[in-house]
Amino acid sequence: MFFIKSIQLFTEKYNQFIVITEQVREAVAESGIQDGLVAITSNHTTTGIMVNEALECLESDIDDALQRLIPEDHPYAHARILRSYGSTAGNPTGHLKSLLTGYHCLFPLHDGELVMGEAQEIYFMEYDGPAKRTYNVTILSGS
Amino acid sequence: MTQVIDIHTHPAFFEPICSTPEKLEQRQLAMGLYKAGSSAIRHIHNQMNCAGIDRLVLLPLDLTTQEGLEVVSNEEIKQLVELEPERFIGFASVDPFRGDAVEILERAFNELGLAGLKLHPARQKFYPGCAEARQLYKVCLKYNKPILFHSGISLEPNTDSRYATPFQFEEIALDYPKLRICLGHFGFPWVRETAALLLKFPNVYADTGLLYFDSAYEFYDQIFKKELNLTWIDRSLRHQVMFGSNNPRFEQIRMVDALRKIGLRESSLELILGQNALEFLG
Repeated sequence: MFFIKSIQLFTEKYNQFIVITEQVREAVAESGIQDGLVAITSNHTTTGIMVNEALECLESDIDDALQRLIPEDHPYAHARILRSYGSTAGNPTGHLKSLLTGYHCLFPLHDGELVMGEAQEIYFMEYDGPAKRTYNVTILSGS
Repeated sequence: MTQVIDIHTHPAFFEPICSTPEKLEQRQLAMGLYKAGSSAIRHIHNQMNCAGIDRLVLLPLDLTTQEGLEVVSNEEIKQLVELEPERFIGFASVDPFRGDAVEILERAFNELGLAGLKLHPARQKFYPGCAEARQLYKVCLKYNKPILFHSGISLEPNTDSRYATPFQFEEIALDYPKLRICLGHFGFPWVRETAALLLKFPNVYADTGLLYFDSAYEFYDQIFKKELNLTWIDRSLRHQVMFGSNNPRFEQIRMVDALRKIGLRESSLELILGQNALEFLG
């Protein structure tokens, strides 16, 4: 059995960490599937899906680390007009941050529950907001 | 800090007036913005909040005689302003070659309550000094409304820059000293000519809607500190330059940020980000 649910959200900041664990759990419950593998994927190239502990201090440190690794004022090649879009591509930092955190995560599903560590939370990571974004909860049933 | 006004935005993809796939595709082609999607008003709010922008000037485009369409109509602009009167300021557009151009503009000011006129010589294919356009300038003077001209090169389809080089507007500034006109995009790439016109004519303004190469900060650094000297803006032209983004072609958020960082005095920044627009709007 296969289940997929696409969830939309409006991000509000240029860079934003949004905990989506509860929305993922709701999608899992909606599916009715008890055992399998749950994939959370983003549809975008300037966002991320991250698993980490949801602490304000950690969010600050992760944001700081990403900014140190990928500063805004670097001379990126991706800062230019794209003819195929007709508009400026000013979001190289978003693409590079997305590369670091990836666009997906996976969790086992057992007895209808996500198998997660106590400290683990799932984040949708915005790196080029504000924007209208979509992520997917996909479940491959093991039965 | 006074309110921040973006004097130059194109609302063609705002969801309330772009709600069908057919209209979206038509506007993508007409604007030359081939991957733009429709934007919910909630997203527009988020973008404005993130950029620290309080109000947007919304520009329509009437191409009736040249291309047989209005990309965005005056009525659609009024619809958006009615949705968000505290955030949106609506301008009118009229194709100068329409037989009823004067009547349309009179109606836009009288009945629709629009705040100014947007003209696009490079797309509407008229010289700013032609008789058809001059009759519109007289309507603007009668109602004390400003005009925002596209100036310089345009990345839209079917555009011809010869109609919109900055010195094409000198005779308008000369002949109508009480008419407030803005040269959009600072007349890029003829930015020194634009600066010269601003120096000569106090009724001529220019907006910062130019981001044709590099990042917003890199490009503003090149234009305002190398092509021009930042002191020209900061000392002599600070009452005539207005923040405009040309969004969605260019990036509102990073452009505001770049302006704030470029090295202008705080008092000049306040003028450029909002106060000058209030003067221009009358």
